[in-house]
Amino acid sequence: MVDLYWRLHMEGDQTSLRHRVNSRGGFAPDAPGRIAPGVRDGAPDGFGHLDYLAEVALATEDAGLVGGLMPSFPHTDDPWAAAASLAAETSAYRFMIAFQPGFLHPVQAARMTATLQRATGGRVVFNIISGGGGPPQLWWGDKVDHDDRYDRTSEFLDVLKGVWHGPFDHKGRFYQVENAGLPDWLRGQPFPEIFFSGSSPAAIAAAGRHADHYLSWLEPFEALAEKFALVRAHSETPPKFAVRVDVLARETEDEAWEEIRQGWAARPARAAEHGDSVGVRRGRSFLDGAGDGFRDREVQPNVWGGFSELRDGPAFGLVGSYAQVAARLDELLALGVDALILAGMPHLEEARRIGAHVLPLLKGPLS
Amino acid sequence: MSRAEIHVLAPTRFADRPDLPGFVTDVRPARRDPVGRAAKAADLAGLAGLVVPFDPEGVESLVSAAGALRATRHARVTAEFHPAVTTPVYAAKLSASLQRFSAGRLDWKIAVDLDRDVARAQGDFLEGPDRYRRAAEFLTIAKGVWHAPSFDFEGEFYQVLAGGLRFPASPGPFPRVYLSGSSPEALRLSAEHADVHVLDTADQEIPDLPGVTLGLRLRLADVDTTAATIREQVDRGVGVFLIDAEPLPDAAYLLGESLIPRLARLARQDKETVRG
Repeated sequence: MVDLYWRLHMEGDQTSLRHRVNSRGGFAPDAPGRIAPGVRDGAPDGFGHLDYLAEVALATEDAGLVGGLMPSFPHTDDPWAAAASLAAETSAYRFMIAFQPGFLHPVQAARMTATLQRATGGRVVFNIISGGGGPPQLWWGDKVDHDDRYDRTSEFLDVLKGVWHGPFDHKGRFYQVENAGLPDWLRGQPFPEIFFSGSSPAAIAAAGRHADHYLSWLEPFEALAEKFALVRAHSETPPKFAVRVDVLARETEDEAWEEIRQGWAARPARAAEHGDSVGVRRGRSFLDGAGDGFRDREVQPNVWGGFSELRDGPAFGLVGSYAQVAARLDELLALGVDALILAGMPHLEEARRIGAHVLPLLKGPLS
Repeated sequence: MSRAEIHVLAPTRFADRPDLPGFVTDVRPARRDPVGRAAKAADLAGLAGLVVPFDPEGVESLVSAAGALRATRHARVTAEFHPAVTTPVYAAKLSASLQRFSAGRLDWKIAVDLDRDVARAQGDFLEGPDRYRRAAEFLTIAKGVWHAPSFDFEGEFYQVLAGGLRFPASPGPFPRVYLSGSSPEALRLSAEHADVHVLDTADQEIPDLPGVTLGLRLRLADVDTTAATIREQVDRGVGVFLIDAEPLPDAAYLLGESLIPRLARLARQDKETVRG
């Protein structure tokens, strides 16, 4: 079985890729004509970001996607807060909560998770991130350096699993616990699947120990295949693979590229990003020497590396007709990918569109 | 008597329900959200709020508080936790989202004086008065990143560089901070950081904490006795009552039906006495 997720925009949503403006939720200011927070007669209209997130989650369920990746950055709302808030009003939706082990104690993470598993009937999934480093990491109050953060992540997951199945004693480099465990009536629930991100050697080594799914941003397909081979070589038990893919699919190829053309023409100048993320550097390297036209970023058919100019996030995604996008997704599945995290702008309408027009065309990993 | 705020303590363990007689078709679904239901009851019964206690044998309070806020319109929801569970920046960030989601109804109760074995099972090996110094740093940083566009802190327990929540406008009010304890360290911490200082017992001497509201935890006896106790305590300057009443949600409805009107009646009598 292939698990298809949809991203949940914790940072706010755009109305389209044509204009790089957050106008739904996130940290957008109240203004007439906006959604979440909107204004009615000069006052907030009572429909907040969480209400919009709930609508996207329900659209995701309706579309036949299993749940959502909930990212976590300094500029986003918090995924634990949102998942816990939406637990009771969703029924099948899996909350893939992104978090950095450094910010929560593993006993606390175990207790929060067990509480949510109980509240949702086991719908929690982890996206473990170890931080992009640079100034953002210091913003969080985290001084542990890049490779040490992966050591900490490994120890964090050891303790978390130990507590989950406790009682558990541990004295390590980052954590110490004595007789830690969960109360009887919270024990014995499924431990969340772990989606693990990171492109550096330190990340790949840690992923080999802990990941159920090794999660990568979309890259040119050959590069992805090489990366997966590297992870397999470093793992005693190879993980499954997952790819996060932006999709812009329309009835015709021309319609899809016209969206991109307009977004490209309207794109704002970008500030340089700082950090020690190997994944971000890799993404840029595939575009070295690309020209200034938007089609120059199409590194292989329908695989376009300009998304980061039109919204926050990774560079690569798929652009094309419904049939083309479905065919490219099938090719990814054929590389050994068995979970996809799809995304589109705006997250609400695009979830419904993908569910109606692209998912039914998928043939699956064996095509 | 002035107005008293009545909060109930949320259930943190999933209680069994009474069995129905065997011939009655029982379609009750599994209970998944007892805290949310208790919160809704407190909200609809007109109580000031609900407190989710820190219970190492029960559900986790911040996650439970999030669900409770989503289930309510007006009630304040207080999550009790200890400072070792998370970094102060992360606690602030998670709480800022909850404030934005709930129109600013989340409050914090900080448990500093944990039992030694409980603390160690939580991964916290700090002991004695140091715990109050750490709590002070924790609250200083959480408030600092909440209010300041750029916040630096180099302390004994934490460091932050250029922190500050990146909300376009204010993330809303910082959670009201509940603290408790009667040691000199505890009272110093409350003087600096508490919005509400919860007394240990009903006969504890009133501490000198200017500007801090006093609170008291009470177990519900019968409504008359509890109302009389609240009236006495209000006269001593206590303004916030955390009522331990079971079972919820039913007990919350009972408080709304009988305790709240009783307190209102007593307050009217007091006014008439003063005028008379």
